[in-house]
Amino acid sequence: MKMTRVLEILPKSLWVFHCNSGSCNGCDIEIVATITPRYDIERFGMKLVGSPRHADALLVTGPVTKYMTERLKRIYAQVPDPKVVIVVGNCGASGDVFYKSYSLDGPVDNIIPVDVYVHGCPPRPEAIIEGAAKAVLLLEKKREELLKAGASR
Amino acid sequence: MWSKVLTGFGYWDVYAWLSFFLVGGGMVCLIRSLGRTDYKEGTDQDEIFFGSNPVPEDGEDLKVPASSAYWGYTQALKPFYEGLVGLHTGMATDYVGWYILVTALVALLVLV
Repeated sequence: MKMTRVLEILPKSLWVFHCNSGSCNGCDIEIVATITPRYDIERFGMKLVGSPRHADALLVTGPVTKYMTERLKRIYAQVPDPKVVIVVGNCGASGDVFYKSYSLDGPVDNIIPVDVYVHGCPPRPEAIIEGAAKAVLLLEKKREELLKAGASR
Repeated sequence: MWSKVLTGFGYWDVYAWLSFFLVGGGMVCLIRSLGRTDYKEGTDQDEIFFGSNPVPEDGEDLKVPASSAYWGYTQALKPFYEGLVGLHTGMATDYVGWYILVTALVALLVLV
C-alpha cells in the first residue's frame, strides 16, 4: 500500500508494541488495566500488537538492563516509520531507584530516542492514556512532515 | 465426464475445487496487496521478528527438542538417573562383576 494511502486511512488509530526492558511488571499491569473494560483504550482503535512490524508506537517499561539493550535497539529498528516511543514508568524515564545499578544500560533515552514520558511508579491508567494521546499528536505531526517531504511510498 | 470423479466414498467435483482454489487464491492476493509496503527494505524493518532476538542462521536452532516436553520429569529424577548412568561404565568386567554380585545376593536370599 502507498504511504499516502496509509496516512489517509490511519490518521488516528494507534497500534502499540510493548517492550519490557527489565520492569518489575508494575507498569505492565497498569498497561493491561488500560485495555480492561474499565478504561478500554481499544475503543479509540488503540491496541497492543504482537510484532513491532505492525506497530506505530513502541511502549517501553523498565530501566533497560544490559541484556535488553541490543534487543530494544532491534525492536526500535523494526518499527516502520513514522514511529513514536512512549516510556511508561519512572524506571524507563530515569532509572528510578535502580539508576546506579551495575546491570543497567538505561534509562531508555540512553538507548533509543524517546518522544513521550509517562511518570509514576507505576503510573495510573489515566496517565498512560494521556501519554498515548500525546503520542498520537506527535505521530500525526511526524506523518504530516513525511507527507510534506513528499513520501511517495 | 471427467468433472466428477468417483472415489468409492462419493465423488468430488473438479470444477468446484478449481473454482474454490481460484477464489481462495484471489482472496490471498487481495489481502497481500493491502499490506504495508512502506517499510525500508534491506534494514531491520524487513527482518523477521524473532522475539527481539537475532534470527538464527541455522534452522536447527529454531527447533524445540522433543526432550523439552519431559524436562521436569528427568530433572526431578536426576539423582536416580545419575546413579544408574554412573553404574554403566561400558566395561564388560564391571557388568560381569555386578551379575555375579546380584546372583550371589539372590542365591543368599533364596537358599539360606
